[in-house]
Amino acid sequence: MNLEKIYDKNYKKLLLIPLILLALRRTGSVIERDVSLKGGISMTIEKEGLNEEEISSFLNSRYDDINVRVLTDLSTRKNIGLIIESSDVEEEQIKGTLREKVEFADEQYSAESYSATFSESFYKQLIMVLVFAFILMALVVAVTFRTFIPSLAVILAAITDIIVTLAIISLFGFQISAGGITAFLLVIGYSIDTDILLTTKLLKRKIGTLYERLGQSIKTGLTMTITSISAVFVGYLFSAASVLKEIFLIIFIALIIDIISTYLGNASILLWYIKKKK
Amino acid sequence: MKIKNLFTMRIFILVLFILISLLAIHPVSDKEGVAIRSVETNSSAAFAGMTVPQNAQPTSYERILEINSQKISSLDDYSRAIEANEEKLVITTDRRTYTLLNQNVGITVDKPASNNILRGLELQGGTRALISPTEKLTEQQYQDLVDTMENRLNVYGIKQLILKRASDFEGNKYIIVELAGATKDEVKELIGKQGKFEAKIGDEIVFNGGEKDVTFVCRNDGTCSGIRSCNEVQGGYQCQFEFQIKLSEAAAERQADVTRNMDVNVSEQGYQYLEKPLDLYLDNNSVDSLNIAADLKGKAARDIVISGPGVGATQEEALEDANDKMKKLQTVLITGALPTSLEIVKLDSISPTLGSTFEKNALTAALFAILAVAVVIFIRYRKLKISLPMIFISLSEALITLGILTMMKYNLDLAAIAGIIAAVGTGVDDQIVITDEILSKESMNWRERYKKAFFIIFIAYLTAVVSMIPLLMAGVGLLKGFALSTIIGVTIGVFVTRPAYAHIIKVLLNE
Repeated sequence: MNLEKIYDKNYKKLLLIPLILLALRRTGSVIERDVSLKGGISMTIEKEGLNEEEISSFLNSRYDDINVRVLTDLSTRKNIGLIIESSDVEEEQIKGTLREKVEFADEQYSAESYSATFSESFYKQLIMVLVFAFILMALVVAVTFRTFIPSLAVILAAITDIIVTLAIISLFGFQISAGGITAFLLVIGYSIDTDILLTTKLLKRKIGTLYERLGQSIKTGLTMTITSISAVFVGYLFSAASVLKEIFLIIFIALIIDIISTYLGNASILLWYIKKKK
Repeated sequence: MKIKNLFTMRIFILVLFILISLLAIHPVSDKEGVAIRSVETNSSAAFAGMTVPQNAQPTSYERILEINSQKISSLDDYSRAIEANEEKLVITTDRRTYTLLNQNVGITVDKPASNNILRGLELQGGTRALISPTEKLTEQQYQDLVDTMENRLNVYGIKQLILKRASDFEGNKYIIVELAGATKDEVKELIGKQGKFEAKIGDEIVFNGGEKDVTFVCRNDGTCSGIRSCNEVQGGYQCQFEFQIKLSEAAAERQADVTRNMDVNVSEQGYQYLEKPLDLYLDNNSVDSLNIAADLKGKAARDIVISGPGVGATQEEALEDANDKMKKLQTVLITGALPTSLEIVKLDSISPTLGSTFEKNALTAALFAILAVAVVIFIRYRKLKISLPMIFISLSEALITLGILTMMKYNLDLAAIAGIIAAVGTGVDDQIVITDEILSKESMNWRERYKKAFFIIFIAYLTAVVSMIPLLMAGVGLLKGFALSTIIGVTIGVFVTRPAYAHIIKVLLNE
């Protein structure tokens, strides 16, 4: 069987790929936070046909560091408005300046503002939430499998998913909001599914050869991951609300990484472990 | 034979859950008229016997069908009928007919709801403020703060509001206020400020806002409150508002004591005033300074007229400004100061149009995502017998989760929608595990395959739930909806819908 050839000869080398990915993440890379996590304002103007670049350069000629994005409608893919974010400038100031350039009614205007101290503590708490969630997940895994190496392999795969996804996000310069951090909670959940399936099949089942069971779990697991990937990809394409878009994007990236971390990383460690035990 | 096999306990439970959810969500197509959302106390609607029961479901609000024999089918129709200047309004609702004076009507109406799902701020538009007290509060003070705030907003005339206490990991206390109608500026003014009112003569405080000192405040009554004069001043216009209040005996005595030994000055026009005026301060800013007539010296006068200016570039603006300021001042005089000053740490305002865009959008995005899943599943298994039940189960999971959130009276927000999508996503994963176990050639009986599939599913379920628990408690509950709907969704999935799926698949594939 092909699968057997690939894995039997190379599983130690295959393990290197996720490890390299882990090592490649930019050292000291930080999470680029958006205004909801570092304080500031986010304003949404719902008006069709506003020119993003023009308004961005206009605002940035007056103030520093103003981020302008387009709000898109899903079905028509039309630009239905702009989202303007800033951490330093007062809302009224920007609103006033903007009115010199664009006309908009109060009904077309939405805004969120966050105080810097609150956002800072909010961010810290979300990171804590992520850490707690991870510890609880690890406990469940450890109690389920009750063996050190296989449990560690599952947890390592989840860590890889989170860290590599974070690295990719920061590489592209995406800013992460509160919703984005919660997406990582989902990443934990989605990433673990396939690892549990794999570990159960390899360690607890006795029917069929090791590689047959590996093959089955890859088939099932890949179906799971690919359906999820297509769902979040479609979700990403069709959402207007930026929180939803961000959540879908993060899960999308993490699921792709998960294929590597599960079937190269976790699977290789398990094969190694099973062979050693024999 | 096959059909008969489908009816087992698992399927029965699934159908029961679907029916209960539909009942809770209660989709209706009959949407004539406009819904009565609230009725002000002491308004003519209230006198005519109109009430809105607390905790009424959105679809069970009374609906106005006709006013003075004119059919009402939109909000515009309603405002036209009210503004038609008829002396009397004969309002026919879906329940009965009311006759009331067209004066201080006091009804808030809205479009009739098409279901009972409570839409949160992000989906219906409105303002939300997260407020943190600037000093440490005792439990009692915290409660007072919430009560005073609610009272203040009610007195001001804001009816549809949610006021929640919230705290975070670090033990910080917050208050979340959500208002459907109010504008951001009103919220800033009304709850962002402590509203500490002081009336001073010299350095002596004579009285404060609140019922202890002020027993009556005249409002909405032209004989004792209103705009008294408007004049052109430098750079614009100024209008003077005036309203009467009644002081408590203790406060009146205090004023008498302070003024007892004062000298009397005579103004240029020949009026006699006490040497020091009565200075009015709101949150340490001077509102107005009132001269005290000489004959009040040493007297415990209980009736006092409060006044203040409103300014604007045009007379109309000045008039509006004066009206606003009067209303706010009346409000704080009635409700008193909050126990501490406050900081608004997060303020969101979402326009109703953006809200409805988000709502429609989230729905379509979810439908397309389910469609994408169906396509992938069909490509993998090439069997409609597998992909159709899967879509059905996924839709039921979303529906039941929505139904439970509705029964919990949870205000659906974007985070909760994301949670539902996430739960449905793990559901599809689980259904794939079930399908593959059932299809597997391993020579075991069905029960054993089922058990093997559910071992994996149950561990995945546990990890998903435990990883959501911390979020339930953190970040002042701003993302609670996400955790809540994910937990509800996966729980329903593991215990109700996915076992039913396993059974359906077993029966359908067992040709």
